[in-house]
Amino acid sequence: MSVSSFRAGAREGFLGFLPLSVGLIPWAMVTGMAMISTGLTPLQAMGMNVIVFAGTAQLGTLPLIAIGAPLWLMVATALALNLRFVIFSAAIADGFRGVGMPTRWVCGHLLTDGVFAHCMEKMLKVDDTRWRLGYFLAPSLWSWLLWQVFALIGVFAAGSIPKHWSLEFMASIALLVLLIPMAKQRPMLVAAVVGGATSIILRGMPLRLGLIVGIVAGIGAGFAAEHWHARKEAP
Amino acid sequence: MSQDATLWLAFILIGLATTLPRASFIVLGSRVSLPPVVQRALRYAPAAALAAIVTPDVLVVAGEFAPLNPRLAGIIAAVAAAMLWRNPWLPFIAGMAVLLGLRALAGG
Repeated sequence: MSVSSFRAGAREGFLGFLPLSVGLIPWAMVTGMAMISTGLTPLQAMGMNVIVFAGTAQLGTLPLIAIGAPLWLMVATALALNLRFVIFSAAIADGFRGVGMPTRWVCGHLLTDGVFAHCMEKMLKVDDTRWRLGYFLAPSLWSWLLWQVFALIGVFAAGSIPKHWSLEFMASIALLVLLIPMAKQRPMLVAAVVGGATSIILRGMPLRLGLIVGIVAGIGAGFAAEHWHARKEAP
Repeated sequence: MSQDATLWLAFILIGLATTLPRASFIVLGSRVSLPPVVQRALRYAPAAALAAIVTPDVLVVAGEFAPLNPRLAGIIAAVAAAMLWRNPWLPFIAGMAVLLGLRALAGG
């Protein structure tokens, strides 16, 4: 019975995420090509891809690897790029109630922007632990597989796919499609607009810190909008 | 230390710097809990983060704020397709078609 609820969760999680996962393909290929053009060997590139498994952190640290920057700067950059995941991890943590420690580490390592956005709501609502685990793991493992396979294709295709195809644009489309259902609630829309605007205004900040400031500003604005909305509705 | 060994050490350290933030609260679980106010505020994290990640990709060209560009047109087409039809592949087809179509027109 528990196996079937795991399967049911996995099925629903996978099918819902499948179309959105298309956005990973160009990112993985672009990352694969970028690693080779930085001067990594195919083995080093795929080693990095498996160990790090984080597109923005990989793409963000490659220029530092290229110039032989000190290790601490690479680590600080990767941390800054992935700090948003502390917020995501805290927001989705309750969805792992009843799950064992080793599995939690695996799930933590596999957490991505897309899977977080797709899974969070039901992870918090559904009671069945096995169902939740399946619902999270299926799209996560699928993302991992896509990331490795298409990075490998990028590694070997480096130089032969024309840049002007702009395949990475599909990643932007995927992120916005995830945003649409959220933006139907007014405070969420406020959070998105403020987060996006702040991120653009502060785009010149080093280490892409503008992204983190934008997220924090968006959260604050959404929270403020919720309060203001509630006060207006009150008699 | 050889250059190759330094590189693998860098991968492992960068890997830790990406996995620890992701695993943080998932691993700590209920032993450490955030105050309810913070939890309510965190509901806005995904919307704020998705927008903060994606808007510069769409509205900034070569470091300059330039909203009128083929990417914005592509995004508008993709969002319209997502809101009007249920087919999940359509936003990607519409967005890429508008982007590449406009570029082809602009390029003559």
